[in-house]
Amino acid sequence: MPDLVTLTVDDRQVEVPKGTGLVEAAQAAAIEIPVFCYEPRLGPPVGACRMCLVEIEGMPKLQAGCTLTAQDGMVVRTAATSASAAEGQESTLEFILVNHPLDCPVCDKGGECPLQDLTFRYGPGSTRMSFSKLTFDKPIPVSPLIALDRERCILCYRCTRFSEDVAEDGLLIARNRGAQSEIATFEDEPYRSPFSGNVIELCPVGALTSTLYRFEARPWDIQNVPTVCTGCSVGCNVSATIREGKVKRILSRNHPEIDRGWLCDKGRFTYPHLRATDRITTPLRRGPKGLEEITWDGALDSAEAMLREAEGGIVTALSGSETSEIAYALGRLLREGLGAHSAVLPEATSDALDAFRLPLSAIAEAELLVVVGDDPVVERAPIVDLWIKEAGRRGADVVTCSPTGTVQTQPGGGAELCRELSEPRNRLGRRLRRAARAVLIWSGPGGGGGARIAELAHDLGFDGKPGCGAFHLPATPNARGAAEAWSVAADQDEIDVDHVKLLVVSGDDAAAAPSVRSLAERADAVIVMTMFHELAGGWADLILPATAALERDGTTMNLEGRIQRLRRAVLSPCPDELTWISKLAERFDVDISPHAAGVFAKLAERLFRDLSLDEIGLHAPLPPRHAYETPAAATTPAPTPLPTPTDVHFVGELRLQRYQPLFSGPAVDRVPELSFQRPPREVELSAADANRRGIASGDAVLVRSNGTSVELRASVNRKLVDGVARVAAEHAADLHPSVEVLKS
Amino acid sequence: MPARPEVVFAGTNGGALDRVEDYEAAGGFRALAKARAMAPDDVIAELEVSGLRGRGGAFFPTGRKWAFVPKPEQLAKPHYLVVNADESEPGTFKDREIILRVPFRFLEGCLIAAYAIQSQHVFVYIRGEYEREFEVLRDALEAMRKRDLLGEITVVLHRGAGAYICGEETALLESLEGRRGQPRTKPPFPAIAGLYAAPTAVNNVESITTVTSVLELGAAEYATLGVENSTGTRVFSLSGDVVTPGNYELPHGITLRELIYDVGGGVPGGRDLKAIIPGGSSTAILTASEIDTPLDFDSLVKAGSSIGSAGVVVIDDRCCMVQLGIRVSQFYEHESCGKCTPCRVGTRWLTQILQKIEDGRSSQADLDLLLSVCDRILGKCLCPLGDSDAIAVASYVDRFRDEFQAHIETGRCPLGGDSSLEGILAPSAQHERHLHEVVHA
Repeated sequence: MPDLVTLTVDDRQVEVPKGTGLVEAAQAAAIEIPVFCYEPRLGPPVGACRMCLVEIEGMPKLQAGCTLTAQDGMVVRTAATSASAAEGQESTLEFILVNHPLDCPVCDKGGECPLQDLTFRYGPGSTRMSFSKLTFDKPIPVSPLIALDRERCILCYRCTRFSEDVAEDGLLIARNRGAQSEIATFEDEPYRSPFSGNVIELCPVGALTSTLYRFEARPWDIQNVPTVCTGCSVGCNVSATIREGKVKRILSRNHPEIDRGWLCDKGRFTYPHLRATDRITTPLRRGPKGLEEITWDGALDSAEAMLREAEGGIVTALSGSETSEIAYALGRLLREGLGAHSAVLPEATSDALDAFRLPLSAIAEAELLVVVGDDPVVERAPIVDLWIKEAGRRGADVVTCSPTGTVQTQPGGGAELCRELSEPRNRLGRRLRRAARAVLIWSGPGGGGGARIAELAHDLGFDGKPGCGAFHLPATPNARGAAEAWSVAADQDEIDVDHVKLLVVSGDDAAAAPSVRSLAERADAVIVMTMFHELAGGWADLILPATAALERDGTTMNLEGRIQRLRRAVLSPCPDELTWISKLAERFDVDISPHAAGVFAKLAERLFRDLSLDEIGLHAPLPPRHAYETPAAATTPAPTPLPTPTDVHFVGELRLQRYQPLFSGPAVDRVPELSFQRPPREVELSAADANRRGIASGDAVLVRSNGTSVELRASVNRKLVDGVARVAAEHAADLHPSVEVLKS
Repeated sequence: MPARPEVVFAGTNGGALDRVEDYEAAGGFRALAKARAMAPDDVIAELEVSGLRGRGGAFFPTGRKWAFVPKPEQLAKPHYLVVNADESEPGTFKDREIILRVPFRFLEGCLIAAYAIQSQHVFVYIRGEYEREFEVLRDALEAMRKRDLLGEITVVLHRGAGAYICGEETALLESLEGRRGQPRTKPPFPAIAGLYAAPTAVNNVESITTVTSVLELGAAEYATLGVENSTGTRVFSLSGDVVTPGNYELPHGITLRELIYDVGGGVPGGRDLKAIIPGGSSTAILTASEIDTPLDFDSLVKAGSSIGSAGVVVIDDRCCMVQLGIRVSQFYEHESCGKCTPCRVGTRWLTQILQKIEDGRSSQADLDLLLSVCDRILGKCLCPLGDSDAIAVASYVDRFRDEFQAHIETGRCPLGGDSSLEGILAPSAQHERHLHEVVHA
């Protein structure tokens, strides 16, 4: 039990743990201390806005309540019982409203605006201000995603504190002084940060607005649907704002263990891809003149015929982006109905990490953090990067072992590093063994779905230590959920398919994987479920339109192994997967519910120990740890992981490190406002490698490998290990693993 | 003529003791040796006995401030001494003269203070416009380094960049850390978590210089100067409508009349004294009838004002109080850091209302509003800057209500074109100009 203190707020006694902030203590007594600048997630209080003025017995002046902590015997009076506190709060609002434009009817924030609400509750009824208000140029494009209205800004410094103290990008600043103070970006550059959108939500007025949401809806004609983001494997909890059947914006929905109410820009701003003009909404079949639109009945007839014809030679390529229910339903149809047990998945999965499970929030509590792997955490699981930054601010030692890390490794060097760390004489390994709160994170390909880092955790003796844990950052949101659901859909073992008669590609991640593409080249026929033409238009024989995560009911399993619930925010422009899988399954005498809840019930029975959707709730709980078992050879027909590019052997001068940036993929491609977030067309070189070639940052260079070359700009990355040319996958074209870089 | 015992400027004979040989010959650095022969806590105790209180404006007992700094064994962090040489209060110009005339006594005080709080690091945050003063300190420091007087202690001269708010101790610390100069909320106080979140004592130039003298004279001897609760001497900056403006070191407790008439030669041109600002622009104004108020902490509190930074501004009968209000309010508006709402908005609003009154466009409601806005700023800001404006303006209305009333009733300034603020607190436009005149070293 923590020490408790008893204080009195507006004559109500309340007991709170020692160290509780006064705002929270009052809240515990169901009393509001109104605030604007106060936001504990942004670090220590700043006491800037003066909205929280309260009277404290024994103190001569009003105090900023947000800056105080509850003390035993403290007697606090808020506006409800103190005339001077009420006058203080009215004063603050009067001052704020002196310059704040009263354009609420046309302001995006109107109706969900803390300033509006608090003005109604505590503000003056009329104005005594007879001079012209301060004016500023507006709106200022802080970035293509965010518009700034400096006249509405009340200078609470939430946005700049987020930028400085949470995202640690230091790009948003306050400049000038006094009444002329204004929010700006450093050197007026666009606010280019994977987390920029959070400042829109943090803004307590309509000063920072989303360019995608601006003027699109009013708070009284929208619904917010609680669901989960599938932009990466973190599974941030979100609300989708819906107006007239369309998604208008995505807001964070604070899950304190997962995202703490932060959301990355990929999760926040990719929803417009739902309404992309090139979205496939009608089934397509390859005919003499290429792909032709057909009816759904026709599509199901074709699919049935293709499946029957290929019986015994069907391989399924699953995606890490589908729901567990879709994977299960597909498994039932193809395995139960057709005996087609073979499946592949673009990445490996494992349950080994369940033994070292922690909530993501535990990263912030860590004293020692070791990140291993080729990819920066922010590219794979951006919110994890924020947890790591918080750990750093709290004094944790963060060691990054990667080609750009504090401990430099060659690409693909993670496994070797893990082996070194597990040796008894390794210094960092010894510190990991000693620490009470150590966390390991694998960020990159080749981690065996977490098996490799779990092995290290086991070797380091994390088994019996509740404060120590390990995470693996998968490339896709639900690879493990999909793999496990597929595995339990039928009982029979995998049969090797030597001749692929039919390849069934489920979802965009699979369709986009080069390894799936090469499998397709070997197949006689291909059925693809995809949202967009470009991914499979060239090689599919039958395309069935896919739905987006925001259009789906179902569940996913995030990187912690937490099962979370997706809720359909909007109807899809085509029947959803479960509807037609269920219909198609009928033709093979397999009974599958067309509803996610029905499928989940079966799945839960077989996989999740009868977990119910109610138990998942709005904020899914974390399952308990399991005992660690040395991974045995898989006996169930789990989808086979496909090789990743870094597994390829390399010989030559420079090793190409092809990385998947956060801002990439079919959804990002379809939001022009996000293009400024994408990596520039450049190749990163270490300072030594650049010097040796007489290359400076900004030089045009030719990146050449056997028979192919790409022209890019050079960027000297002083953190990068020697011998590596780092290029975003989208700019690396067909380059081979060994490259040479020349000044062009 | 009142007795003028010199403590801060002792041995200068009206000139400067700015050569190390001269200072040494005059007995310099003996206080440092004396202090270093004592236990650090005994130095602090000595300061407590002396009754020395902060000369920057808050009048907080210097010894007690140092006693709040945890001992290194209590808090294993670096300890810092930060000297506030960002003198910017309108009407106050004593620290620059101290630096120019007794730089070694000041630096000696820094070393004594650092010794007392067991700090190895001294930061002197000097006002950016103080070009010459910076050079003098730099050279003096070099001379002391050559004589091996610094020991293990590092002294950093940090030049400000032209913001009044950086004279507020927590804003100063923010600025010193390379951040935007804005005050922090207190607690934690700098003594516990100051510079780089480590224990820090922040003292004014005059306080630190006086420390040397206290050690030299002995605390008991020093305490015989001045009056109860306000021991010792004070360097008064005398300006405005006075025959011989300048800095005068005098014991606390002399009256305004003695300072203005006996020392300063009275109001020039035979004009009448109208008002006195006793402690820098942020203190409440006094009328001519309060000329016999003694210049010490308690007496000025009793008179409804404050000794502040001891910048005494003499105002004669040509000055319009509304115009004075505008000048003062413009300064605070211009220097408001913008962090907290009441100050950022309120100071500007006060200027606007005062301008409306001066222009003769106002009604009674505007005067009520003026006082109400003062009241809504007062005690609600993050730091004392906003309060300063409100206190000053409200005191002008309080002491000269008839004059404000006349503006409203006649629709014009009663002093018409004859009003003059010449020499009374520099207008804020003048502060702006300095920024560009600085020649960087």
